[in-house]
Amino acid sequence: MQFEWIQIPYALLTLSIIINFGLLMNAFVAKIGARVGRRVGIPIYQNYIDLIKNYGLRSSITHGVMFYLGPVFRLTGGIGLLMFVPTIYGSVMFSNFSFAGDLILALYFIFFGTLGMALGAGESGHPHAAIGVSRGLSQVTMAELPLALAVFSIALQYNTLSVTEIVAAQQGGVLNWTLFTNPLAVVAAMLSFLGSVMRPPFDVVLAPQEIPIGPPTEYHSSYLALMQTNRVIFPIAKMVIFMNLFFGGADNWPVFFVKIFMIYMFAVFIGVVFPRFRVEQSIRWFLIWAVPIGILAVIVV
Amino acid sequence: MVNVIFIIVIGLGAAFLLGLLRENWRNAAYALTIGSLVSMAWIAARWLLFFAVEGGTTVEVFTAGTEPPFAINLRMGIAEAVLLLVVIFSGLLSAVYMSKSLFRLGGRAMSVLLVFIMALCGIILTRDIFNLFVFFELAVIATAGLLLISENKQALSAGFKYLIISQLVSVFLLIGIIFTYHVSGSLNIDTIAGVSLDTMKGIGSLAFFFMLIAVLTEAKPFPANGWALDIYESAHPAFSAMFSAAMAGSAAVYAVDKLLLIGGQQWLPVVTAIGLLSFVAANLLALAQTNDRRTLGYSSVGQVGLILAVIGQRDILGDNYLFIAGGILLSHAVAKAGLYWISGLIGQRNLTDWAVLRRHPMLILSFVSFIAMLSGLPPFPSFYAKWDLVMILATENRLWILAFILLGSLLEASYLFRWFGYILKRETPRQEKNEVENKSPLLSLVPHKLLVIFSALATSWGLAYLWGELSAYDNLFYALPLLFALSFLLLEWVSVWIKNTLAIAGMVAYFVISYPLYDPLQIIFAAIFLLGGAVILLASYHVHGRRIGFYPSAMLMFAGLAMLVVAEDSFHFFAAWEFLTIGSYFMILRGKNSEPHALSYIIFSLGGAFLILTGFALAAQGVVLFNLGSLAHVAAPIAPWVFLLLAIGFMTKTAAIGLHIWLPGAHAEAETDVSPMVSGILLKAGLFGLMVLLMNMGKQQLYGIELTYVMLWIGALTAFLGNLMAVFQEDAKRLLAYSSIGQMGYALFGLALMNQLGWLMALMFVINHYIYKSMLFLSVGGVAKRTGTRDMYKMGGLIAMMPLSFIAVLIGIIAVSGVPPLSGFGGRWIFYNAILSSEYRLPMMLIFISGPIAFLYLFRLIHTIFLGQLKDDHRQIKEAPFWIMLPQMIYVAALMVFAVVPGLLLRHVDAYLSPFFAESAARGGLNWQGLTITSDYGYWSPIPIMVIIAIIFALLFAWLVFVNRKAQKVKQFNIVYSAERPFRPETTHFAWNFFAPYRKAMGFLIQPFVTRFWETLTELLHTIADLFRRFYTGNGQTYAIQLLAFVVVVYLFRVEF
Amino acid sequence: MVQIAMATGFILILMGLYGALTNHNILRIIVSFSVANTGVNIILVAVGYMHGRTAPILNEAVPVAEAAARIIDPVPQALVLTAIVIGLGITTLMLAFAYKLYERKGTLDISKFSELKW
Repeated sequence: MQFEWIQIPYALLTLSIIINFGLLMNAFVAKIGARVGRRVGIPIYQNYIDLIKNYGLRSSITHGVMFYLGPVFRLTGGIGLLMFVPTIYGSVMFSNFSFAGDLILALYFIFFGTLGMALGAGESGHPHAAIGVSRGLSQVTMAELPLALAVFSIALQYNTLSVTEIVAAQQGGVLNWTLFTNPLAVVAAMLSFLGSVMRPPFDVVLAPQEIPIGPPTEYHSSYLALMQTNRVIFPIAKMVIFMNLFFGGADNWPVFFVKIFMIYMFAVFIGVVFPRFRVEQSIRWFLIWAVPIGILAVIVV
Repeated sequence: MVNVIFIIVIGLGAAFLLGLLRENWRNAAYALTIGSLVSMAWIAARWLLFFAVEGGTTVEVFTAGTEPPFAINLRMGIAEAVLLLVVIFSGLLSAVYMSKSLFRLGGRAMSVLLVFIMALCGIILTRDIFNLFVFFELAVIATAGLLLISENKQALSAGFKYLIISQLVSVFLLIGIIFTYHVSGSLNIDTIAGVSLDTMKGIGSLAFFFMLIAVLTEAKPFPANGWALDIYESAHPAFSAMFSAAMAGSAAVYAVDKLLLIGGQQWLPVVTAIGLLSFVAANLLALAQTNDRRTLGYSSVGQVGLILAVIGQRDILGDNYLFIAGGILLSHAVAKAGLYWISGLIGQRNLTDWAVLRRHPMLILSFVSFIAMLSGLPPFPSFYAKWDLVMILATENRLWILAFILLGSLLEASYLFRWFGYILKRETPRQEKNEVENKSPLLSLVPHKLLVIFSALATSWGLAYLWGELSAYDNLFYALPLLFALSFLLLEWVSVWIKNTLAIAGMVAYFVISYPLYDPLQIIFAAIFLLGGAVILLASYHVHGRRIGFYPSAMLMFAGLAMLVVAEDSFHFFAAWEFLTIGSYFMILRGKNSEPHALSYIIFSLGGAFLILTGFALAAQGVVLFNLGSLAHVAAPIAPWVFLLLAIGFMTKTAAIGLHIWLPGAHAEAETDVSPMVSGILLKAGLFGLMVLLMNMGKQQLYGIELTYVMLWIGALTAFLGNLMAVFQEDAKRLLAYSSIGQMGYALFGLALMNQLGWLMALMFVINHYIYKSMLFLSVGGVAKRTGTRDMYKMGGLIAMMPLSFIAVLIGIIAVSGVPPLSGFGGRWIFYNAILSSEYRLPMMLIFISGPIAFLYLFRLIHTIFLGQLKDDHRQIKEAPFWIMLPQMIYVAALMVFAVVPGLLLRHVDAYLSPFFAESAARGGLNWQGLTITSDYGYWSPIPIMVIIAIIFALLFAWLVFVNRKAQKVKQFNIVYSAERPFRPETTHFAWNFFAPYRKAMGFLIQPFVTRFWETLTELLHTIADLFRRFYTGNGQTYAIQLLAFVVVVYLFRVEF
Repeated sequence: MVQIAMATGFILILMGLYGALTNHNILRIIVSFSVANTGVNIILVAVGYMHGRTAPILNEAVPVAEAAARIIDPVPQALVLTAIVIGLGITTLMLAFAYKLYERKGTLDISKFSELKW
């Protein structure tokens, strides 16, 4: 597959669909969370309002060049990740720029935004930002390991690193999904998934309910708008990978919406039930529960 | 040709004449002494010329007009001529050296000196055992007399102890002689040797044992040598020089050699055992010494032990016997005499007091040459000799002897190089003004003494050349890179600018010249070694002045590297390996606090080198020029052992886990431009070695264990633990050093995968690691230079002050972490493809986790230095010097280019590698067609990735710039901070113990087990050394008892052989 | 005859060595070594002695032609002479050292001269 100019509008189309879907889904999930806690919750269009407001605001404050670049890195990471993975299987329109690289590219590109964001936050000079980064990086080292093992396992299973080929191999019935052909890998990957969506019990990195902590501490107005956009795109981009690798991919948008929503709900369910871990606790948790399953997945495949 | 007997005649005659001269005719007496020594030397030299150049044969000299056995005869051959020259020259130079003392004591002292030299010549020349006894006794008497020259009052008691011992020796010798005579009916060595062995049984054998043990005692074997150490410690250094070089090192061992003609083969093991015991034990005990002359004494005992061990191997050495024994003997003689002479310049006796040598670069060069000679480093004779010796020992399967020799050598190198560290790094002792009057000065630079030392220096290099000529291999002096490096010794007086330019030009030129000769793999390494080195050298322009010592060492290292790449046989490979080790050791030692780290570096490196040496020796099985390619044909039972030895040796250099403890200190404490050289470049030498090894030997099994599989685990563990340890460093350069350990682990892992992609990944790491680690070390070095500290938590917010350094570090860490679009990602991508085609799965797990861990330390590096809160002290800081920045900017460009078009370099290597894996890999390498690189599993298009990311990034950035165009940079403390206003950067900069929770969770994995192991081992050795040296109580009677016990024990154990 | 001389020689050597190793006084040590040297010399002579032969002097009593069969071996005797001379030299030197050592420390106890050690 090679680059053609028509791919640019196609990619933009994918992007807009994903953004809208993400905004709605996030609000919906927030509402579910509120209802579980016997609260009314936000209106379903709340995220639109927030985003538009923040895009509209003008800031006259910066902490330096890297501070400026942080959100740019962050959103580039989110959009790039989405662009490097085919969204809809079998569709030329929605396969984006996946010709540029395979699964490994996507996995490593996840860190692009994280790194830039952490740097930007660092330049703000706020210690809470640095503390958040320190916690986040510590947690991610162990949370990513089961995923890496799962990916290795299914790459061995399908004998390829191409996302498209992996999805192709899962076609022809639910039982062909990796979920059923390689359940250990899927379990390991889904446990790892918990650690990367910033929901309880692994959300000490941001600690959203208490003092502001984590990378976004000093960000506001249009900086924050970029990051909010990313918060919408990035989890979905990541879930697209999960969906493609483990749950048979999606050959049309309705299936896509359902699958993404279900994957996300997995994290939400666990999040509303469990309290928060400290960083060293979550590291140990991944080490004890998720990593052995991953290793097993690699061995038995 | 002058009759040899005139050597004796002149010595004896002049000694008598001196006694007749009037007491106050000092000048005449001295002139007579020197004159006679010179004429003796001339005779010996003339004979040497006769044998060596004119092809003369051994000559017998008869006395009393009768042939042996009825009269004494002397023999003059090439060995005798050389030894005579050693003896006479050491006497002559010592006479010049101690002229002041000789003048003070007058003609009688000079005559004793002459008798001493004459006696030693006699020992060497005579073929008569009773004559041997007489000359030995003369030497003893002369020794006792010469000891009194010393200013040290203790010399008296040392002399008495020696006399006691010599009484015992003479009892043994006489009894041995008379019974030998009784049995054989002759006193002539050759006649006795001709008598059939049967007659030498029973009493004859006992008689021979007595003679042998008596003569051996004069060679001061451990443990019957307390008296000798006391003499070495207390005598005048010029006498100690003679005592070590001429008496023990030449005359006594040659006497042993002669006597063994009588005893025959069955006594060789005895001599070997005694020699080896002395060599190892003396060097071990020397570890605990603080007195310089006593240390040298121990070293002498050790070296003579080594010569004895070589004599004990004469049954297998064949034609090489003289070359090997001579190489070691001459090295010992010249080096030890030189060191004793230097010790005479130094006012105080502690090893650390030698720091005063720093005032005189030529003396440092002398010291270095001498200890290199003693340690058997190239290009000195002992190197060639040790190489041949090890080759033969391995071929003849005498592996225990080989192991002991190498162990002793390592011990010896340890304390010698520790001493060198003291010289360069310890504080120069201060001398109180009022003490100057009555005490000797700390360093007395007397011209004639310096002349003597420098003539030893010249001799050492002359011998190095000579042995190169004599050896079966090429003379190392003809290697262009080495000559280039050595020529910088002559340029020390010019400024850095000129030297640096010359160095860069030389390296680039050498690369260009050799370019056509390289294969693709060699091109990559040569480019990194030579061109890469030249780029780093650009940073050296920031140093002003002359920077004495830097360029010879740096060029020596690069010479070694250049020679390593093109080495075709094991000898050249090993010589190059030693060169780069020594050169880099000197460079590392230049750092301010690097003394202990440089020492552990050289010890580990030499240990590794010895393993490599043994491996090559085992593999060669006597083949003189062992081509590296022949490693592939090594037969089954030895092959895995060869593999193991070589692999461990190379892994010492790449700092694989367990052997890594030298690296962090050595790389962190080195100078700003040295750190990138030793990290970015030098580590690759180990990888090159491993590649050569694996390429030729492939997979090997030992006891059913696949050795490459073990390497795979070691690589993975190294990557994991190296990265983990890097996370918890507060010192920026240490962090980078630990990161290097991790990166080398990746490369090792890639090689051990033993498939084409694994190798490609390793090569990708080789290139990448060179670029980004050199860059990061330079940036961090520049920052450390400006801030005056390497502790990261003391920095912060430097992005505004040093933006270019920040950019370099930013690009560097993106590349290291493997995040697309920079070149680090290529490495990861190839890695995944490589492990998919590998049959192993478990070790990958460790690699998976080490990747994310790298983020931790990388973020910490950039955050705590450049981001966060700027400290008050640093508000005036400037960007790093231009010359330090320049290479970094070159690297930034290189990283970008390599990220976009990796195929430029790699595709050729890929093609080059494929034949090596043709049979094992059904799956081939990569497909480099077009923009996309494809493997059997996936694909990767560097250019589109770069373009896509750049466009998205640029668009977003432009938008943000547009909407926030009015934004102003706010003050440092203008942050949202829970109703407080922070005002101190120190309390606001979150930096120290940055990953505290991570330490809580994972800290148990980085308990310093390995460090503790090596420390315990070192401590144990020192404790043993300290405990056992107390065995030399200082009491002359104890020494005598020890000698008797030694005799009995040797006699009892002799039965074993 | 030879056996007696041999035995005496060895006994003297052993006595001398025992004395040298057990006495602390330097002078006694020197004397002990002299005793041992004497023992060695006796052995030298004893080894060379052959029963029933005459001294190795060529005169009317021992014509040159029969010399080889009638005289004892002259070599050990020559050796003994040399050995005695050398022994004398060494003993003298030791005594001189003893004198110097006494001058320095005022004692002749050998265990007091052990500053140089280890």
